Amino acid sequence: MIGLENASVAFGKRTVLDKLNFNVPRGQCMAILGPNGRGKTTALRAMLGFQPLASGSRVAPQVVGYVPQYASASQSYSVREVVVMGRATGLGLFGQPRLGDYAAADSALERVGAERFSGERFDRLSGGERQLVLLARALATGSDVLVLDEPGSALDLANQQRLLVMLDGLRQQRDKAIVFTTHDPNHALAAADTALLMMPDGPALFGPVEEMIAPAPLEALYGVPMRLVEMEAGKGRTRAVLPAFAGRRAA
Amino acid sequence: MTDATLGPAQSRRPFGISATALVFAGMGAFTLLNIVIAICVGRYGVPVGRALEIVAHATLNPGAELSEIDERIVWLVRTPRVLLAALCGAGLAVSGAALQGVFRNPLVSPQVLGISQGAAFGGALAISLGIWGAPLLIMVFLFGLSALAMVGFIARIDGRTEIITVILSGMVVGALFSAFVSLLQYFADPNSSLPAIVYWLMGSFATATWERVGIAAPGMAIGVFLLWSLRFRLNILSLDDAEARSLGARPDLERWIIFVLVALVVGSQVAVSGVVGWIGLVIPHACRLMVGYDHRKLIPASIIAGAGYMVLIDTLARTMTTAEIPLGVLTAIVGAPVFALLLRHHYREKGSK
Amino acid sequence: MSPANSLSCAGAAALTFALLSTAAAYAQSIEIVDQENRTITLPRPAERIVTIPMPMASGVIAIDGSADKLVGMNPLSLTAIQEGILGRIFPEALSITDAVTATNFVPNVEALAAANPDLVIQWGGRGPEIVDPILNAGLNALLIVYGNETNTRDYMSNVATAIGKPERIEALVDWRERVQQEIAATTEGLSDDERPNVLYLGRSLSDITASGAPNNYNNWYIELAGGKNAAAELEGNQSINREQIAQWNPDVILLNSFEPELDVSWVYDDPILSLTTAAQEGRVYKMPLGGYRWDPPNQESPLTWMWLAELLHPDLFDFDLRSEMVEAYQVLYNHALTDADIDEILWVSFQGDGAGYDQFLAD
Repeated sequence: MIGLENASVAFGKRTVLDKLNFNVPRGQCMAILGPNGRGKTTALRAMLGFQPLASGSRVAPQVVGYVPQYASASQSYSVREVVVMGRATGLGLFGQPRLGDYAAADSALERVGAERFSGERFDRLSGGERQLVLLARALATGSDVLVLDEPGSALDLANQQRLLVMLDGLRQQRDKAIVFTTHDPNHALAAADTALLMMPDGPALFGPVEEMIAPAPLEALYGVPMRLVEMEAGKGRTRAVLPAFAGRRAA
Repeated sequence: MTDATLGPAQSRRPFGISATALVFAGMGAFTLLNIVIAICVGRYGVPVGRALEIVAHATLNPGAELSEIDERIVWLVRTPRVLLAALCGAGLAVSGAALQGVFRNPLVSPQVLGISQGAAFGGALAISLGIWGAPLLIMVFLFGLSALAMVGFIARIDGRTEIITVILSGMVVGALFSAFVSLLQYFADPNSSLPAIVYWLMGSFATATWERVGIAAPGMAIGVFLLWSLRFRLNILSLDDAEARSLGARPDLERWIIFVLVALVVGSQVAVSGVVGWIGLVIPHACRLMVGYDHRKLIPASIIAGAGYMVLIDTLARTMTTAEIPLGVLTAIVGAPVFALLLRHHYREKGSK
Repeated sequence: MSPANSLSCAGAAALTFALLSTAAAYAQSIEIVDQENRTITLPRPAERIVTIPMPMASGVIAIDGSADKLVGMNPLSLTAIQEGILGRIFPEALSITDAVTATNFVPNVEALAAANPDLVIQWGGRGPEIVDPILNAGLNALLIVYGNETNTRDYMSNVATAIGKPERIEALVDWRERVQQEIAATTEGLSDDERPNVLYLGRSLSDITASGAPNNYNNWYIELAGGKNAAAELEGNQSINREQIAQWNPDVILLNSFEPELDVSWVYDDPILSLTTAAQEGRVYKMPLGGYRWDPPNQESPLTWMWLAELLHPDLFDFDLRSEMVEAYQVLYNHALTDADIDEILWVSFQGDGAGYDQFLAD
């Protein structure tokens, strides 16, 4: 559904992506992980078609639902106006949204549970609410592909939880190809089927979350000792990744 | 504002917000009233009923002989002047609103892009060469557009145009064309072309005729209509480039479409009434306060309010004193304080975010 | 004698000599107090004159009776000479430099110095910016103040003194006084109703301007000639619109002679202006362009007054304008005007059929 084939990108002499290959089929959710500056964002931009490729190609449908990390909030539209913008792809240069488009926008808002602030001004929402609205806008495009740029990275833990639950819910419906970048392996654990690790040297690693979000590949990825823990949370046992930062020594 | 207080059932309708409808009705009434008053008042006394009768008669009997002086004053002087002012006001306001949208900066106006200065140079050059009428319009438009093209050329670095470089380039190009205009003034014949250039640069509708309405109307109408048609697209273009692209827009290309339309509108306006400032800044701001930021409301609101405001200002300019008060003086005297207030409002709001 | 004493004696002798020689110079030098109360001292009559105010170029020519003393002028003075008859009377004037000043009266000091004038005539009352460059270049500046008839006579006399022809100016001033008195004697008693409404438009083609200032020269000669200024309610020179002109509904419209493309058809073809009383009665006239433009004060002003008085009150006056012009041009420029010259100056080609213009036509 969406992916890159032998995609290379270089900024000057620095090669950022080197023959990157991946493809996410419908019904799957892939997390792209890596430390800052390893090409996570470049891979995402390449996938969206914003980043010209030095070689290789991009596989993507006409319309991709995109959720930016931050929204441009300089113009103060209402939430509903923001979400209905998702319909622009089908409307062309001179098109105006019609009742059907508003219905799609409203149902997208409902899907993310944001219908209650539909009439409020977008720039007056909290960060978490904004991300939900942007997710609704991506859904409103009607695309089978969702691409999210570091979802939740700027949110507090409660809002991260809320967003990841939402994302996991979308994944479980198995009707979309979803890709998101993150620097937190726990996000991949929470909402992804597969993971792409942008390794510091050598080619990227790709595999199911169960294999990729494990101490060995993560330590190689981040250079930080990692440990996988299981704990009781909510209705059952969940797994989480813990980094062992150079902090206070255990007694 | 109004939207926030409404329940989901009401907000489900796309334009069902009655407060907005009310605002539009008020604006429409304001503009219509201004136009009617403008046709009825002037330095030459024509009773209101008689003025309206003349307009009705001339509209219903096009081409009828006008032999009385009051008929000619109302139909050949006031009516084209009022229409021209309304057209230009609408065009300037909508241009300002569109530019502020694509630049994501509410303090932008056609002057900032150098379009006005380029157009002014084109006109001054035409006057120096003794060119009037439609060819002058073409020169004004071409120079407005070439100023814009220069801005585009300068601002485009590594295949990308950053908003801030566009604004800075616009200032550079605008300054350059202003200097060219000064140069032309320096060399112009002080008995014929110099006063014409100076007068024309000051901006006025005093020389309005039906012919001038005919010259300005096509470009103005096409530009305003297309900008209005693009009102939803302007919402998209006001987003981050990446967001806009993900929503199917080609921001670089489409921004230039907007710029060309603005050049068409501003060029047509400058060709017939010289340089008129402030309208493109003050009206969109005032409209945002009344109808919000959505361009689908902001664009029509700017068109209506711009027309009414310009007619009002021009009516004051030609009736307040025996002499014509320069338009630029009035737009600045009214515009600057209003704009200062809006500026404070804008940044106070921004600070509170 | 001590050395100190001999030095002081020598000093005293030198001082005495200096005083004597200065006194000798003063004996033949010319002293003028100009209209800004500055005293200008010229060692001898000025032979090389630069004029920066527009009307003064032809003024100097007229006062001197030749173009020999004029060595630089305003570009706008030159266009008036080119457009009008002066260029044909004094072809050599056409090659005098106009590089000495910009049209905004800011002198070009280098061009000014190159012209090497004894005297530079400049506007007074317009600030030191346009005067200081002349003084800094070590040149003499005579400042003149424009506006009314008294000022005109004063500065013309000053210029005549500067070029050493005081006897000539007496005749010119005397002529002005005579004509003024003669016209005033007839028009003074006119009641308000008997005075036609006269609108002088300073500009027409791009912007329409009129003036209501009581001190305005056009206003002054309109009243002298027995009219009243239709635009009297204006403060100074201002833009007006057609509607305002319709409201004033003047009996006579005077168009400026500055705009070369302007003629009376501008009024007759205009849907509004053509309905004014002035247009309906054929009383629209463009100001003549003779040795200088007849609208502002200049050496030919009495002709302007006679022309206007005859147009406003043909029944009260009986000047023979054509012969007055021939006589004046003989005195001013030592030139014999032909009938064709006169027709051209008076714009007979396009306003010869105007109301009352038949009296100015050649027999």
